[in-house]
Amino acid sequence: MKYPPGTVRALLDTPHVSDVTRAALQARLDAPAYEPQFFDADSYRLLGAVCQRLLPQTERGAEAIDLPAGIDRRLFSGQADGWRYDVLPPDREAYRLGLGGVQQTAQAQFQQDFLLLSAAQQDQVLAAVQAGTAPGDLWLKVDARRFFEELLAEATILYYSHPLAQEEIGYVGMADLPAWTRIGLDEREEREPQEVK
Amino acid sequence: MPDEEELIEEGVVSPVQPEVQDPLLRQLLQDAPAAADTPEPQPAKLPEPTDVVDCVVIGTGAGGAPLLARLALAGLRVVALEAGPRHEPRRDFATDEQAQAFLFWNDERLSAGKHPLSFGNNNSGTGVGGSTLHYTAYTPRVQPDDLRLRTEFGRGQDWPLSYDDLAPYYDELEWLLGVSGPSPYPWGPERQRGYPLPPLPLNGAAQLMQRACEKLGIRTSPAANAALSARYYQEGIGWREACTNRGFCQAGCSNGAKASMDVTFIPLAEAHGAEVRADCFVTEIERDAQGRVTGVVYQQHGQEQRQRCRTLFLCAGAVETPRLLLLNELALSSGHVGRNLMAHPGLQLWGTFDELVRPNKGIPGGLISEDTHRPRDADFAGGYLLQSIGVMPVTFASQVARGRGLWGPQLREYMSQYNHVAGINILGDCLPHADNYLELSDEKDARGLPKPRIYFTNQENELRMNAHAERVMRRIWDAAGARDVWAFPRSAHVIGTCRMGLSGDDAVVDADGRCFDVPNLYICDNSVFPSALSVNPALTIMALSLRTADRFLEKQRRRDL
Repeated sequence: MKYPPGTVRALLDTPHVSDVTRAALQARLDAPAYEPQFFDADSYRLLGAVCQRLLPQTERGAEAIDLPAGIDRRLFSGQADGWRYDVLPPDREAYRLGLGGVQQTAQAQFQQDFLLLSAAQQDQVLAAVQAGTAPGDLWLKVDARRFFEELLAEATILYYSHPLAQEEIGYVGMADLPAWTRIGLDEREEREPQEVK
Repeated sequence: MPDEEELIEEGVVSPVQPEVQDPLLRQLLQDAPAAADTPEPQPAKLPEPTDVVDCVVIGTGAGGAPLLARLALAGLRVVALEAGPRHEPRRDFATDEQAQAFLFWNDERLSAGKHPLSFGNNNSGTGVGGSTLHYTAYTPRVQPDDLRLRTEFGRGQDWPLSYDDLAPYYDELEWLLGVSGPSPYPWGPERQRGYPLPPLPLNGAAQLMQRACEKLGIRTSPAANAALSARYYQEGIGWREACTNRGFCQAGCSNGAKASMDVTFIPLAEAHGAEVRADCFVTEIERDAQGRVTGVVYQQHGQEQRQRCRTLFLCAGAVETPRLLLLNELALSSGHVGRNLMAHPGLQLWGTFDELVRPNKGIPGGLISEDTHRPRDADFAGGYLLQSIGVMPVTFASQVARGRGLWGPQLREYMSQYNHVAGINILGDCLPHADNYLELSDEKDARGLPKPRIYFTNQENELRMNAHAERVMRRIWDAAGARDVWAFPRSAHVIGTCRMGLSGDDAVVDADGRCFDVPNLYICDNSVFPSALSVNPALTIMALSLRTADRFLEKQRRRDL
């Protein structure tokens, strides 16, 4: 742990954070338990297991940032982010095919369901997908490397948008009122957290 | 998991509208019997307003807003149609990247070619103010030779106008926007006066680059940025507050310090009678038997509307402008609409430093060097500039994921050094190539319109420039004491899909922005650039916008319509 816990949460209650900023961050902290609306139960469990390898957060326990929820919510609502690799099918289909491909690769490499593999084996499966060398005929329909890149980027964006992840990296840019005056090298504003040496 | 057959059956569908995509719901909708006594719904008849305004302007970004104000100031009746909403930045803009995603053009574009372009938060915008709502506010001028690439290198294109045509507009803009920058500026021709405000303070990344370049004998300077280093007043606009070093320019400025169009030219235009209609998505451009534009049809809040006009200014950016022309089969005789698509090489180099950088603070592009404008050892045409870069955390994390491919504990470990990370990037010229273009795809968006497909592959010139730039930037970051240095290949702004030129044989508009095919249709945005330029495009788009308005007004006076 490079930074003490609780830094962002403490700042949210101060006038350093604007109302609209506070609302956005607090909503993520207070998000209720989520039930999938787009994925079926099996696919959703598989997505959860994959996200747990991409951004492992076992130390958080029940407080873990719910990445599959963000993905399911977006796919259900049909939102896009302005572009898509032309080699990939539309997002919903890419996710269905890609998760199916992960399962196929797990079976081909270890003759086991992905969920039953050890963490190291799961990582091997995902590394093969990332490298575009994963076995499984579903990968003929969805470009493995681009699918992995999109999935990883989406999971990463969801993760680092969360106040707990921002506490972890010592980021408190949301507390920008009234201004930042100490912006040069090795200059710390009083409200910015100090690294734990 | 759904089984394979089901997947095949599903086919290619649009991800934008869930009710169309969901196979079960789609089937239910198809099976639903029509109520017997309900007449077939008739398409709503278009209102036929007899109202004819002088000018309609499509788009309110750097291309549309300045000319809107100019035309209004000249006493013309002008209406701007903006696809996105009007925002109240002080109230609505969060210091949070995800919450600000509404600033981007999020309708899906299909990215093809060997180096597919990313859109969305990379280079697109929507809302009153267009992409300037999230531009980084870099406002370097071009250098004169930027406009004469073919003359100088025998490749690329010359512009049908010169630096001297643009210089008075640059000057006017710098003082209207309140550009903060060094006076004198170290590169390019001498200027009639300096910047109105001193430069913004240097953040950590800028200091690191400054220190290293000094060791290496590379000249640097605080950059010119259209964000206020002090409170500033302009007639017709009023007071704007100074920058608070919030560092969130690319997610929207919340206090009006950044000179986006919504706090500069839009209020100026409205003060002189221009009408700005938000949430208006133009679908059709109507013509008479002679092929002259008579008006536009647009969607607003689910209603179809029509606005008639005498002259149309199309300022929707280098993707939506050619898309509208292609959809309407308009101004296509040159065969160049959608072609000559260029994208600025925007290679970034990131490193980790012992010092605390906290890269979210301060204007992101604090320091500039144009010493690489025409490098002596270049093996490519054109050149590039160097900028220090700060970065917001989520943008950075997503680049680490895509560019470095880190995941698992390595990703979290690397990101835990976020406060010690700083970057440099380039903004370089790009040559047009037959393989790089925009077309309409068969896939439809939620409006039922074909999505654009954009092909982009870096060619020899761009690859050589990027390689040169990476060598230079690695030297700089080594000298600055960086460790764990990595490059993020990236293309920035999209340019050139409706280029201007001397002849309708190989260009869409003339030097005044007027379409060769349609005398009362003007285009003004980054689509008209004949070459990509080795500087950030916003200031030059605005300069062209003012010039296009002036040339049009001159024609009006001469009755050359």
